[in-house]
Amino acid sequence: MGAETTVVGRSLPLIDAREKVTGRLKYAGDLPPLHRMHHAKVLRSPYAHARVVSIDTSKAEALPGVSAVLTHKDDITGRKKTCNTPWVDPSFNFRGPMISEEVCYVGDEVAVVSAVDEDTAKQALRLIEVEYEEMPAVFDLEQSMQTGAPQVHPWGPNALEPSLFQWGDIEAGFRESDHIIENRITLGNQQHAPLDRNACIAEWDGDCLSIWTSTQALFWIRDAVTDFFELSPNKVRVHSTPTGGSFGLWWGNNFMFLAIAVARKARRPVRLVLTRDEVQTTVKRRERPLIDARIGIKADGTMVSQSYRHIMDNGAYGNKFDPYQSVADIYTTPHGRAEFIGVATNLLPAGCMRGVGDLTLAYAIEQTVDMAAEKINMDPVEFRLKNHWRSGDICHTSQEVLFAKLLFNKEPQVALTSSGLEECIRKGAGKFGWKEKWKGWGTPSSVEGIKVRGVGVGISTHISGLAFFGFNGITIKVNPDGTMVLTTGIGRMGQGGDTTQAMVAAEVLGVELGDVNVVDGDSEVCGHTMVTFGSNGMHMVARATKAAAEDARRQILEFAARRLEANPDDLDIRDKRIFVKGSPDIGVTLKELMSSPIYEYLSPPEVIGRASRGVEFDKAGKMMICDYAEVEIDTRTAQMRVVKFVAYHDSGTIVNPAICENQVAGGYCQSLGMAMTEHLVFDEESGAILNPNFMDYKILGPLDMPDPEIYFEQVYDEDGPFGAKGIGEGVTCAVPVAISNAVYNAIGVRLHPPITPDKIMRALRQKSR
Amino acid sequence: MHPITLNINGEKHEVSVRPHWSLAYVIREKLGLTGTKTGCEMGTCGSCTVLLDGKPYFSCLRMAIDSGSYAITTIEGLDADGKLHPLQQAFIEEHGMQCGFCTPGMIIAAKALLDENPVPAELDIREAIGGHLCRCGTYMRIVKSIQKGARIARGN
Repeated sequence: MGAETTVVGRSLPLIDAREKVTGRLKYAGDLPPLHRMHHAKVLRSPYAHARVVSIDTSKAEALPGVSAVLTHKDDITGRKKTCNTPWVDPSFNFRGPMISEEVCYVGDEVAVVSAVDEDTAKQALRLIEVEYEEMPAVFDLEQSMQTGAPQVHPWGPNALEPSLFQWGDIEAGFRESDHIIENRITLGNQQHAPLDRNACIAEWDGDCLSIWTSTQALFWIRDAVTDFFELSPNKVRVHSTPTGGSFGLWWGNNFMFLAIAVARKARRPVRLVLTRDEVQTTVKRRERPLIDARIGIKADGTMVSQSYRHIMDNGAYGNKFDPYQSVADIYTTPHGRAEFIGVATNLLPAGCMRGVGDLTLAYAIEQTVDMAAEKINMDPVEFRLKNHWRSGDICHTSQEVLFAKLLFNKEPQVALTSSGLEECIRKGAGKFGWKEKWKGWGTPSSVEGIKVRGVGVGISTHISGLAFFGFNGITIKVNPDGTMVLTTGIGRMGQGGDTTQAMVAAEVLGVELGDVNVVDGDSEVCGHTMVTFGSNGMHMVARATKAAAEDARRQILEFAARRLEANPDDLDIRDKRIFVKGSPDIGVTLKELMSSPIYEYLSPPEVIGRASRGVEFDKAGKMMICDYAEVEIDTRTAQMRVVKFVAYHDSGTIVNPAICENQVAGGYCQSLGMAMTEHLVFDEESGAILNPNFMDYKILGPLDMPDPEIYFEQVYDEDGPFGAKGIGEGVTCAVPVAISNAVYNAIGVRLHPPITPDKIMRALRQKSR
Repeated sequence: MHPITLNINGEKHEVSVRPHWSLAYVIREKLGLTGTKTGCEMGTCGSCTVLLDGKPYFSCLRMAIDSGSYAITTIEGLDADGKLHPLQQAFIEEHGMQCGFCTPGMIIAAKALLDENPVPAELDIREAIGGHLCRCGTYMRIVKSIQKGARIARGN
């Protein structure tokens, strides 16, 4: 267990809270205009798949106030599809040339205009004359995989090479099984839908480039830009501003490259701000999965064999081919198989969204497991307690195993470091009142007139960062008055990562949170953090932060030892004062130490702590999740509402309880949206998105659900800083399936998200026939 | 272009506008008051909420050219004297935000509520922010923040 802490574990306010409540925090769209800056607008394809036969921009170029028009004729193509590693596609929506003559989804970029103001740029777009030749398009996942299907984009086949994991003897496992349960699931098209519309401002100074954009992927974008524009990293400076929500949306995106390219052509700074419609329809959405699950169990409920085929819709330019995490490992079985296939369609590109594969596959697993428990008439909670993953168990389907294989042709073992999953399931059941509410299979938890209630449970796991996310570099500079400056490449997308990193530093250095300033989001100044994703902040980046703070602490103690004529090992820092352990009266304040000259140098000390830390991939720190839901369905109107929701999570030590509660509540809200209402609707004829706004794409509001009950099982993770693991993404993973299982308990029909009243109504009617 | 005068946070701003420019656009792009956020530009997210004569409005749905006769309050007006409004203080202490994008609109809506009803019930609060979205899903602590802001404003 960890030692007593003074900063870690407290719900201290966000360090940027004052900027946020006063409206002074600047997202990219809030930055003041640069001198001579122009504004860009994008002309987009009305077709899902077409060739631009001709494009005439002469009238647009002649419009007064227009500074540049960019089309496929400008022929800007990155040197290579990816960086030197198999998983890093810098833009994550690679499309060959920045603007192609072949457009591959409705909304794909055809031309960009920069002009003196937005009105002029919009007017210029209308003056561009384009002749398209329509090409065959494919929107359906399975159709896209068939031979003879239209090729979605000009390179490569529609279906990427499958990623395959196998252990034990899968067929023998099914032969040994007393029951085999098969299930096919699909989910809706969820979109990240952050409230903020992103902007990118690009400014060239000769061959040096600066950009400002809201992103969680500072260094990924830096690397993508250097690749695309063939620049040395020392010619590119990326400023990542906070994002008004991101959830995986604001990584690299083509719109940033367009702003950069049009600024170069216009020889001016250019700002491109996306409209709401563009945010919803041209950047990214969650991969839509199609999963075939097969689970073999013994008569006593022991899981023996599990097999999953997870096909994901990548849209036009997504490139997912891997399991993302190690999701098939919620349950430990001697035999297993998991296959992942990314498939292109002529739809909006798809990629990571909060929870990623853990959400989609956990949905399939947890629903199929429910069916297995029903098969043998076992309480679903008991079934999970019998089979769930435990500390020390092997991660068979880890993404890291895949990359070790791709890079080094080795197949190492990855083991789970800690797990409070059992406690989460047990204690969650207690808080929820599972024993009282669960009336057995086929019986709703309650029926009152036309209102039926059902209960459901779902478990999941999620990584706390992965080794291949790279090294994280942190510096901590101590000021003459004992305050400090911490630099980090961590993104600020609402997860409070800057606050919690500063808390870790303050804890190590014996100062208050308010003494630590955080400088982030500048690729020239901050140490590397590739992207803030995969819940890597608290478990992985914070290891570097803790090590940098320990480095600064060592330097402080050495200076203090000289002054106090003591051994550095005999000193400690607390409350901004260094003192001799055992003789606390002998000491010096940090301020006095840092501001008084040292005899030999005639100068005060200078302390800069630094650390660069990667993590070895053989030990996986994962968060554990168990969610319980109770829903009520009005059988006359088919309206559903959540009655009670209990989230019991193990994220190791909770560094800031209020931040973590907000993360869990937010994950619940977003995933409940996915379960009940959120779904991008594609027109079956054209492939266009029909609901690109908050009027028709329904996000849950403050009146739409009860607050969740949130509990943490604080299992100390030996590899985590102060015992902490990640939290941000995992909080979404088990929500949709807990809801879906509760719906089944209520009405006896298995429905898939979004579980809308029309689906419920159809199910009720079919059942009553 | 049409010259108008906007009265924002007690200050008069002379500005030339086109007839189709929204109040939100002018506040942000022409006057640089970027605390007012524009998430959807069609009155569905609440981020751009400002007060016109004390009443909350979506500034993305108001024409700037028609707004000259109102006393407009934006988030920048709440701590104009350098002192945080009780709601701002409460949002900080209660973690009533994550990414912070919806926060100015939430606080403005809450101010309008408290100005009318200093002792709101939880449902009053949820209804007052019923047209506001928080994509981070922070509603639980936003409600707590407004309750606490009301208490601070009442002096207990």
